[in-house]
Amino acid sequence: MQYQITHTTEYEYHQSVSLCHNVTRLILRNTEDQLCKKTVVKITPQPDIICEYKDFFGNNVMYFAIQQQHKHLKVTVVSQIEKRITAGSMLNFYQTTPWEEIKLQVLEPGDDNFDARQYITETAITKSTEEILRYAQQSFTPRRSLFYASAELMQRICKDFEFKPGFTTVATPLDIVIKERKGVCQDFAHFAIACIRSMGLPVRYVSGYLETLAPEGKEKLVGVDASHAWFSIFIPNTGWIDFDPTNNMMPGEQHITIGWGRDYADVTPLKGVILSSGPHQLRVSVDVRRIL
Amino acid sequence: MSSQNNEVPFLNGYFNIQYSYDDLFGSNPGLQQNWKTYFTSFSNLGNEEIMNRSQDMMRFLKENGVTYNIYGDPSGLNRPWNLDVVPFLISKEEWILIEAGLIQRANLFDLILKDIYGEQQLIKEGILPMEIIYNHRGFLRECCGIKLPGKHNLVIYAADIAKNNNGKIWVLNDRTQAPSGSGYSLENRLAMARIVPELFNGLKVRRLSPYYNAMRNALIEMSPQQKEQPRIVILTPGPSNETYFEHSFLSSHLGFTLVQGDDLMVKDNHVWLKTLGGLEKVDVIVRRVDDVYCDPLELKEDSQLGVPGLLQAVRSGNVSIANPLGSSVVENPGLMPFLPAIARRLLSEDLKLSTIASWWCGQPKELQYVLDHLPSLLIKRIYRDSLNRTSIDATLLSSAELSDLKQKIKAQPHLYVGQEKVDFSPTPAMVNGKLEPCHALFRSFAISDNGNYTAMQGGLTRTSLDKNNMVISNQLGGFSKDTWILSGDESSTLSIKKEQEYVHVQSHASKSDIIPSRTAENLFWVGRYTERVLGNARFQRTVMQFVEEANKAFIDDDLNLKQCLLRSLTLHTHTYPGFTGTGSEKKMLEPWKELGDILFTVNRSGSLSNNIASFYRAVHAVRDHWSTDTWRVLREMEETWQNASAVNHKGHYKMLNAVDSLITSMMAFVSLNRESISREQGWNLLDAGRKIEQSLLIISMLRSTLVNKREDQVEYILQEAVLKSNESLVNYRFKYRAHLQMPLVLDLLLLDPHNPRSLVYQVERLKAYLSGLPKINASHSLAAHERYALEAFTMIKLADKDGLSIIDRHSHRYKKLDEFLTKMNGLLLNISNAVSTTYFKHAQTQQQLFRSGNL
Repeated sequence: MQYQITHTTEYEYHQSVSLCHNVTRLILRNTEDQLCKKTVVKITPQPDIICEYKDFFGNNVMYFAIQQQHKHLKVTVVSQIEKRITAGSMLNFYQTTPWEEIKLQVLEPGDDNFDARQYITETAITKSTEEILRYAQQSFTPRRSLFYASAELMQRICKDFEFKPGFTTVATPLDIVIKERKGVCQDFAHFAIACIRSMGLPVRYVSGYLETLAPEGKEKLVGVDASHAWFSIFIPNTGWIDFDPTNNMMPGEQHITIGWGRDYADVTPLKGVILSSGPHQLRVSVDVRRIL
Repeated sequence: MSSQNNEVPFLNGYFNIQYSYDDLFGSNPGLQQNWKTYFTSFSNLGNEEIMNRSQDMMRFLKENGVTYNIYGDPSGLNRPWNLDVVPFLISKEEWILIEAGLIQRANLFDLILKDIYGEQQLIKEGILPMEIIYNHRGFLRECCGIKLPGKHNLVIYAADIAKNNNGKIWVLNDRTQAPSGSGYSLENRLAMARIVPELFNGLKVRRLSPYYNAMRNALIEMSPQQKEQPRIVILTPGPSNETYFEHSFLSSHLGFTLVQGDDLMVKDNHVWLKTLGGLEKVDVIVRRVDDVYCDPLELKEDSQLGVPGLLQAVRSGNVSIANPLGSSVVENPGLMPFLPAIARRLLSEDLKLSTIASWWCGQPKELQYVLDHLPSLLIKRIYRDSLNRTSIDATLLSSAELSDLKQKIKAQPHLYVGQEKVDFSPTPAMVNGKLEPCHALFRSFAISDNGNYTAMQGGLTRTSLDKNNMVISNQLGGFSKDTWILSGDESSTLSIKKEQEYVHVQSHASKSDIIPSRTAENLFWVGRYTERVLGNARFQRTVMQFVEEANKAFIDDDLNLKQCLLRSLTLHTHTYPGFTGTGSEKKMLEPWKELGDILFTVNRSGSLSNNIASFYRAVHAVRDHWSTDTWRVLREMEETWQNASAVNHKGHYKMLNAVDSLITSMMAFVSLNRESISREQGWNLLDAGRKIEQSLLIISMLRSTLVNKREDQVEYILQEAVLKSNESLVNYRFKYRAHLQMPLVLDLLLLDPHNPRSLVYQVERLKAYLSGLPKINASHSLAAHERYALEAFTMIKLADKDGLSIIDRHSHRYKKLDEFLTKMNGLLLNISNAVSTTYFKHAQTQQQLFRSGNL
């Protein structure tokens, strides 16, 4: 399957800004089941400086700076990718391994294990609490397989939490999400991650897109899709396995990965610093469509 | 405890109890001999002289502004630095070991740092647990893979070292973030060499200056582009930082510009300094801001101390930072237990200096050991954190505190390290006029120069009076000692004369005219507050003198006059309601309480104390611009004024005295500046600030006293008061030899170009200063501030004293005068604003863009 994703971010400043520095993580990375064939980045006004590099987690980063007066900033990234279905044959064999055993296996030598271990420790956003631990322990019962425990955790989160755009912001702490049982995909992914880390297991945050299908008989509208997030667990000798708690599903063809990190802060799609005292507004639109 | 033949006889008078040599100096015979030499000089000076010198030394340090700020302690801001007259001695033999060990350790930490931000072999080979690094707040993933130029990544390294009773030398802490103390070390030495040179007699003490030369070389070499004179700045968090004195001291000692984050900006992947004349490229940054605070774009987002985009400039190889961003990850007690193995792996050597036995709690066995032995251990966190104490002496904890600590360790074991508590060897210290043994912690420094590390032949020793307290830090108080490393070699030893000369030589003179725009702004405000304090003090003095003498006045309308003056004082100082509004009649009958209030109430806007506080804030922000003599004047003035505030309202005579001495000190400050500050941009702004303020004050005073027509007798005295407050009464009498009359008063105060107190004189000088400021645009047209100044100058030149003295019959006021003054006031405020927007560019604030979330 081939997709074209158009992700537009626009800032409107009330006062003109003479200097802005930005860091974006909007260029898709290649994965086992995803090949990025073409990326076009369009920034207006034209940046004075652009640098591209890979970050610590292997994500594609673009830094740019605009050094002239401007009142409007627009960043559009158009990506074309091919999505393949990988055979999950290995999965069947390892998906029965109890989580306690995996906890020990991760500590064994090996590059993959080494890489995975950095995702065990809690971060500022995914701090563990008694409540989180109790929630996790309901799924992570003794000797249960990591795979099924995670799947059930995903399912419970989807059931227990209400998807409510606008209720939270990128800065809302997890305890409010837990208290109110409301949030968006980012909050659910963080909550799941906090749960799994509280069990001492590696888990990472994946930033990406989801193709939303139009209701039958209606043309899909541009801009109804949004950037999405989910979590991914690690099974030694198998690899990373994704779970989407917002939709209670195993990501497949319709999930498109931008990158990953320990939490949202590692893969923020676009952040910046401007020199200005006035307020500003942000508009984001995402369009994911199949190319035939 | 003391054996008869081993006592310290000639010092007996200094002890509360008797000590043996061993008690006091440790068991090293060589060192005991050196102490004998030292104390021979010591007793030659005699008890009384030693006490006098100690006091002189405190005064010297205070006058040099040596302070250590304590966070979160309002009274502790600018706490004076304590220095013991008894130094810390290190024998030649001990130093050979310490120096070799220190340099080995600097090399080792440099290699660990490179490995962590590069291949991570130590972790992959299982020599170093990943969690010690990855859970450390100073592990900046953003810095991984950045190749830094130069042989060493770790430029400055420091270690806290102590001796135990057997003479064994231990390293307690490693410092790699932004080690502090090298400036204090030098200041301590300068104080000792100046105040107690006799005590150096017979001892060959090594010199400190080679270290600072090495430091300067190292920083010059670091410049990304090989330049003869790279621009090097010291990045400080600002005047409220605990070691701000040191930042400013090193800046003037080494000749590097002292800057705060918003003095810098990143543009074209380079770092630039915002100066009065535009942007200047920065090559090397000496970092005294913790690394996570250095770039709000990629690191800590709410930091106001950093430079957005700094990491990008580093990545592009256009700026070098000492120590590099990310270096704090090895300032990490978690490394301690693994260092011997790491040293064997990376250096194929054993550690020369022992590390205190430590147990990292991230391993099950070690965790168990620490939990079992908790009451006898020191507990440290692997990184510093403002919310949690870094070091906890568990031997001092109650059982409740112990179990609380146990819980904390169990919850996050990988963040904690247990350390053995060792007994330190004693060293003598002067405590309240008596000698006493106390234990000392010695901070030693190494700098990467020319591919090798150079150790400072000295260091900063700190002691604690509390014998049980093993956690010594400046934040917790205590006092410091000069550190004398004794040498057999003549060439490396201190010649007191040389050491002093060295300090006064400034090597970088060529670029002194480039001043950061923040410095420019502060100088401008020093100028403005100087005059505001002077102007308000003079006027209030005049008013107080009148009120004091009111009963003796020979005019009929005494009360009316008194009211006029008091009301004018409120208007002039902006201390409303004061003597205006309801209830003011009562205040006027007993005016001294209100008069004292507007002198001394520091939190009352417009009061003299309030303006003095603003003045000191601006002065401190540019502290390296003032000479030692100037500082002495400033400190004495501060002390005198504080004393006067304390006895507030204890007599009119005392209040007048306080104001008199304030004015004298302030004038001394002004004259010292005139004699000592070179006539460059800094001076232009300082004096431009003074001229603007003086102009505004003349205008304000005339508007508040003379604009309304009064009875002749009252007006006469008001005119006299205005002239007196402007130091122009004598001039008037001399020039006109006539009774006071309005046209002549205005002529002298506004229009006389020869009177240095007149408005026209101020505006003319101001105009000259403004046209001397750097041109921002190359065009021939005048900049906004120049245009306003020209307009103001022309307006005064065209004014006519008789026209201004016409009384408007209808309103019974000097209407023309009022209009003239109002317009002038507006023009002067415009000038001040235009200068701010054109030259004080750091005022722009930095702001995070909203981030889009994942939905």
